Amino acid sequence: MGGDRPDVLGGPRSASQEKSYTPFQARGLARMKEVFIGSENLLKLIGRWAKGHRVYVPVTFDIMNNEDTPDYDLVKDEVPETMKLDGAAPAHSAKPFIFYPREVVANYPSSDAEALVEAPSTIVVGPRGCDVRGLAKFDKVYWSTKHFTEEYDDPFVIEKRENTYIVSIECTAAKETCFCTMVGGKPYATEGFDLNLAPLGTGFIVTVGSDKGETLLSDSDDLLREVTSEHKSERDRNRASVTEAVDRQNAQFAVDQPYDKRDLAASEDAWAYVTQNCVGCGACNRVCPTCTCFLLVDQRAKGGYERSRNWDTCLSIGYARTGGGGNSRPALAQRLENRLRCKFEYSRDRYSLVTCTGCGRCIDACMGNIDMRESIKHVVTEKAKA
Amino acid sequence: MKNLYRPIESVIEDIKAETPNIATYRFRPKEPISFAAGQFVELTVPGVGEAPFTPSSNPNVTDTIEITIMSVGTVTEALTKMKVGDTVGLRGPYGNGYNMADFEGKEILIMGGGVGLAPLRSLILALFDDVEKYKKISIRYGARTPGDIIYKELLPEWAKMKNTEVLQTIDQPHPDWKGTVGVVTVLLDDLPLLTTVDVGKLPFNPETAVACVCGPPIMLKFVNVALLDKGFKPENIYHSMERNMSCGLGKCGHCMMGEFYICKDGPVMTAAQIAEFDDPF
Repeated sequence: MGGDRPDVLGGPRSASQEKSYTPFQARGLARMKEVFIGSENLLKLIGRWAKGHRVYVPVTFDIMNNEDTPDYDLVKDEVPETMKLDGAAPAHSAKPFIFYPREVVANYPSSDAEALVEAPSTIVVGPRGCDVRGLAKFDKVYWSTKHFTEEYDDPFVIEKRENTYIVSIECTAAKETCFCTMVGGKPYATEGFDLNLAPLGTGFIVTVGSDKGETLLSDSDDLLREVTSEHKSERDRNRASVTEAVDRQNAQFAVDQPYDKRDLAASEDAWAYVTQNCVGCGACNRVCPTCTCFLLVDQRAKGGYERSRNWDTCLSIGYARTGGGGNSRPALAQRLENRLRCKFEYSRDRYSLVTCTGCGRCIDACMGNIDMRESIKHVVTEKAKA
Repeated sequence: MKNLYRPIESVIEDIKAETPNIATYRFRPKEPISFAAGQFVELTVPGVGEAPFTPSSNPNVTDTIEITIMSVGTVTEALTKMKVGDTVGLRGPYGNGYNMADFEGKEILIMGGGVGLAPLRSLILALFDDVEKYKKISIRYGARTPGDIIYKELLPEWAKMKNTEVLQTIDQPHPDWKGTVGVVTVLLDDLPLLTTVDVGKLPFNPETAVACVCGPPIMLKFVNVALLDKGFKPENIYHSMERNMSCGLGKCGHCMMGEFYICKDGPVMTAAQIAEFDDPF
């Protein structure tokens, strides 16, 4: 895992490069170093990345009159014209890149763990602040030694985490369903990214968040410029305006209980009310940037059997069913309660992490139009009455 | 890095029928699996899937593992079709077992219901290995009918062990049964209520005694209430918690109960640990 990183520091640089911007002087100083890249140059940079990595960018698809919400596509020979880096978050979070919907994790009788781990070098351009925060849950669950000494490190997620470059983008607009600022987030990433792009009228401010991210710029001095104070003011204006928009559209959902001090142990009736339109399809689990649960499934395969790990949904009736037919959460309302309390209470108590990042995708994906902001408000209000 | 999900090939060495739908299997894993009483393993029936079981053999024996299994689900039904010599998979052990160091010098009440006696057998055998260390071992076992009793030949042998008693009951009267009748909590009737007096064959002090309980959820619920009534301290009542489990590693989420993962914080949990839940069983 890991491996040698190319030496991107020091060494002679050409005069022309030095005119355009000052090379990073030392690895330590590189963190949060900022440079400017023009829009055309960013296309060139992404094109260069695509020569050595799998690069995913958000593109718009003209389907169902929904051109505004982009989703990820692989950059093949050229950067697609439909690439959309501004606006609000893409349809999917960064989750599918580090935690595949289905992945073979063991072959048996014989098995070679190392050979099974698939983790090609991948650059994901487009995760938003909410998505980057969501990755922390994966680090807690699958990369335990990073956080607390334990023996259960998962090579499948860890290698993908290590081989995936997160190039986050600051939101320049909010979807109706965005509520990151209600759960302690911001419409831009403040940490956890390798590179961060702040869209401006003529280009982007690129912030280096890690040594790994810095390597993505190492051979592209020719494309970079110094950041000016005008660039920074433009970014600050955008940040303030999107933050304000998110705050404004969520004022109606405000509750008198801090997001990290939630107590949602409300009555059965309160939870039954918010569950009325739930059909238990699990779409919310699938689009959620912090739903980490899975089911192991065994089946016949060449030379024996294979065990795959598949995304699972805690809303299905079989999720907690035991062999004898017992079920600790037989009612759908109990399962939806479990899901929302997992995000706010259980993850907080277990991992010191509130795992709702306010991305709003569960609201977008719900065929029953369940809005978790309304659900939380109802439950908190009913509990206060009780 | 070790592959957490790979089962260790294990050969079925012996199958002993206990009841029409319960059998004890002895497995010999290719790599030794050493566990503590109360921990569990994941058993793979090739191509079918995995299910979690607490072994019923002596944890001090590491080259083979015995598991007493009732056929109730997909994996256990597939297992009934397997024969001696066939290969299954095992991985583990996982979770927390009994805090046996804390049992020394104490009276130990072991309450089993139905096939719930199976995981307790591993604890009982471990206790017997150091029987002198414990003041008393009281095994109380309830089954629905005489035909549902497991370890029929072993129970009388256990009763012969030093400082050990075995009390049994069945749920409904039955022509073949001369002993106690009633659900397993009737076996607690002889225990004093919050007082210390000699009862039964051997003295019993609920205030310092330890209880280890395993059985169907409904039994755990009522035994828990009964033991607390009798004056057992919540931190001295150990329940075997049952939840759906897929990975056993604290990742898949299936066994979550609030902020607990039963596979990591359990499967053995004290009444004190689960006191915050209205109905944890």
